[in-house]
Amino acid sequence: MTWIVLRFARGGRARYISHLDTARALQRTFARAGIPLAMSAGMRPKPRISLGLPLPVGVEGRDEVAAAEVTGDVTHPGELVERLREAAAEGLLPTAVELWPQRPRLDPVAARYECLTALDGTAAEAAVRAFGAAEEIFVERVSPKGRRMVDLKRLVTVDGARRAPEGWWMGFTVRHRADGAARPEEVVRWLLGGDAASPPAARIVRLGVEYTGVPVRPGSRESE
Amino acid sequence: MSPNESAPWTSAGSGDLRTNLLGRVRRPGRYVGGEFNVRHKPAGEPLVVLSYPDVYEIGISNPALQILYSGINDDTPACAQRAYCPWPDMADLMRAEGVELWTLEDGRPVKDAAVWGFTLPHELSFTNVLEMLDLAGVPLHAAERGAEHPIVLGGGPATANPLPLATFFDAFFVGEVEGRLAEIVAAVSAASRWERLRRLTGVPGVWVPASSPRGRARRQVFTDFSSSPPVTRPLVPLLEAVHDRVALEIARGCGAGCRFCQAGMWYRPVRERPVGLLVEAVQEALRQTGCDEVSLLSLSSCDYSAIEELVWRVRALRPGLRVSLPSLRVDSAAVSLATLGDRQRGSVTLAPEAGTQRLRDAINKRVTEPLLLDAAAATFHAGFTGLKLYFMIGLPGECDEDVLAIAQAASAVRDLARATRGRARVSAAVSAFVPKAGTAFQRERFAGLEVLQARQRLLRGAWPRGVKLALHDARAAVVEARLAVGGREWSAVVEAAWRAGARFDSWREHFDLARWERAAASVGMNIHRAFEGDELECESVIDSLVSASYLRAEREHAVAGVLTDDCRHTCGSCGVCRAGVAMDLAGAEALR
Repeated sequence: MTWIVLRFARGGRARYISHLDTARALQRTFARAGIPLAMSAGMRPKPRISLGLPLPVGVEGRDEVAAAEVTGDVTHPGELVERLREAAAEGLLPTAVELWPQRPRLDPVAARYECLTALDGTAAEAAVRAFGAAEEIFVERVSPKGRRMVDLKRLVTVDGARRAPEGWWMGFTVRHRADGAARPEEVVRWLLGGDAASPPAARIVRLGVEYTGVPVRPGSRESE
Repeated sequence: MSPNESAPWTSAGSGDLRTNLLGRVRRPGRYVGGEFNVRHKPAGEPLVVLSYPDVYEIGISNPALQILYSGINDDTPACAQRAYCPWPDMADLMRAEGVELWTLEDGRPVKDAAVWGFTLPHELSFTNVLEMLDLAGVPLHAAERGAEHPIVLGGGPATANPLPLATFFDAFFVGEVEGRLAEIVAAVSAASRWERLRRLTGVPGVWVPASSPRGRARRQVFTDFSSSPPVTRPLVPLLEAVHDRVALEIARGCGAGCRFCQAGMWYRPVRERPVGLLVEAVQEALRQTGCDEVSLLSLSSCDYSAIEELVWRVRALRPGLRVSLPSLRVDSAAVSLATLGDRQRGSVTLAPEAGTQRLRDAINKRVTEPLLLDAAAATFHAGFTGLKLYFMIGLPGECDEDVLAIAQAASAVRDLARATRGRARVSAAVSAFVPKAGTAFQRERFAGLEVLQARQRLLRGAWPRGVKLALHDARAAVVEARLAVGGREWSAVVEAAWRAGARFDSWREHFDLARWERAAASVGMNIHRAFEGDELECESVIDSLVSASYLRAEREHAVAGVLTDDCRHTCGSCGVCRAGVAMDLAGAEALR
């Protein structure tokens, strides 16, 4: 048995599937690639594979992480990646396999995002400045548990705006604390000046997540 | 494939609009495709769009669409793509934003297809067909379509009576299409719409309502079924669908002859694939799908001639592989369940259909109470933790005693479950009998809403504790009954109901009988009007191969309570078997 960290990107069509669907698709990718996963013990054995921080529906991920235990030894991680790539669905792209001595801990510490806006440079930079200048930014979160106010300033750092051929990208980092985290769409909605009833249409990309013990892979810093 | 693609399925122009919509609907994954084993055939011509008129999660599990999708893409020069019925949240947004229905594979407008094929599973899907035509920007009425529009072609079991849809379809294919795919693709490859339709008219099994109103289309039987491999590279959705397993069709047709059952008549004669072919196919399908469960599919899996050998050899392919037999007949279920051994989990469904022996004999369901209890006991001994029973109410000749006997049968099974496997769940689903075209009961009178609801109340009052009861919506059965045997005049009702907002009628939360009542009244019809025995217009346009005299005789046998043997054992002279069309059993090969 060998514990591995599978790094993968989720984009294109696959960004519209849920966290659970992503997990199921990865599990199926291992099966199609002929790489058996170890099974949990108990009455209903389940494959030992778990994903890190859920990627919201509609959000692309550049450097997502799954921890899996495969049966047997892995001597050539690169070969595993190739087999997984061949077996993967469109938009789910395995990028690297790393060997781990024990089950990796996937407790998120911080996640970096970028969103593509329809704003011009002046407006994008003004939004970044406005976020920095505010002392508190409360947004309303509605969930099945009810409504509550979340202070984005406590949980988010806006990193800046940059120009690209397709438009202006705005970057931000969400810190994950014991008492919760901000949702990327809440940050994007505030930056773009939208309201809660109309979710942002901008493209949102998660560049990477720093976990306890599993760092962000070098090189996955920008969305393009 | 690159994760940097922003929206690879969208074509230029409307791509951003679609991306905008996808961010505002529930489960956007329904509209983007990208499944495992999806086919991309950019140079494929002509474009064939295949549709199942229900939401993606239901449609993606439909075996007929999988067969057509693989067959057209892998064996013909054509390119098959798909579209399912958008859920109301998406449909409303599409209309508001002016976005037309697109294909999942590459986002082409559906209306650009040469032919748009619909699998029609049942009557309650009819309004969804209109919904999809409208969303695609294709005129509802075949007569209003121009040179730029696709040929709209219907198929599937509901074509046993296509008349309520005749106004909306350019053509119907009646029967099993696999053997005619190449001819259909050749026909629709013609440049002009008129020529495509003209050539289609010459394909056996095709009925064109506008040009052959008096012709009879003969149901086509796929005579090479036994020698052809099943689909081994099925589409596997990324979204959770209703079925998550390899579904392998081991046999087609059923010889049991249940007098209410449309599928039992429509897919005759019985044909079975040989064990060796199936085992190879399972191996390949497991590799292609990554599934860990195989469902051996047919109308009655336990009647497959070599079921024990097949299950044994499939199980031997991989340790821990789960095998399920989805359709079990009560009279042979015990043997099949024993075949599966004691490693099973989940639940089994058995369909006694009626509560009393008298009524079971009338519908030709060769089930006795001891057989039912044997099958239930075998279920629990095999390790299953749940047993679901199917019954019908509103059957011809039914009285209160028959209804009460359903509750008694459920009670007996519950007692057995408690005695053999203490925590096993027993549940029952009770649906309403709807006379279907092409069956011995096609001319029977539908019980009607009041009678059905009274019997549902009776059943609820007598229902045993500890057995979950699910009653199908009697109101929906009213609509189903009218459309199942209705004539062309019902097209107007379907259209009026859709214009009044009817869609997803098979979903309880969307169905509204009052809407259908008003729609019928608006065109001078009555949705509750009792069917008069002799008016069955579909017989004049569809030849189901089952002879009228056989159906008449079966109806008389029902009245007399006379059983008809399974046609595998004794030929009932139904008329289906003829030159080139015959029963083909896997066990016969072993005997030879």
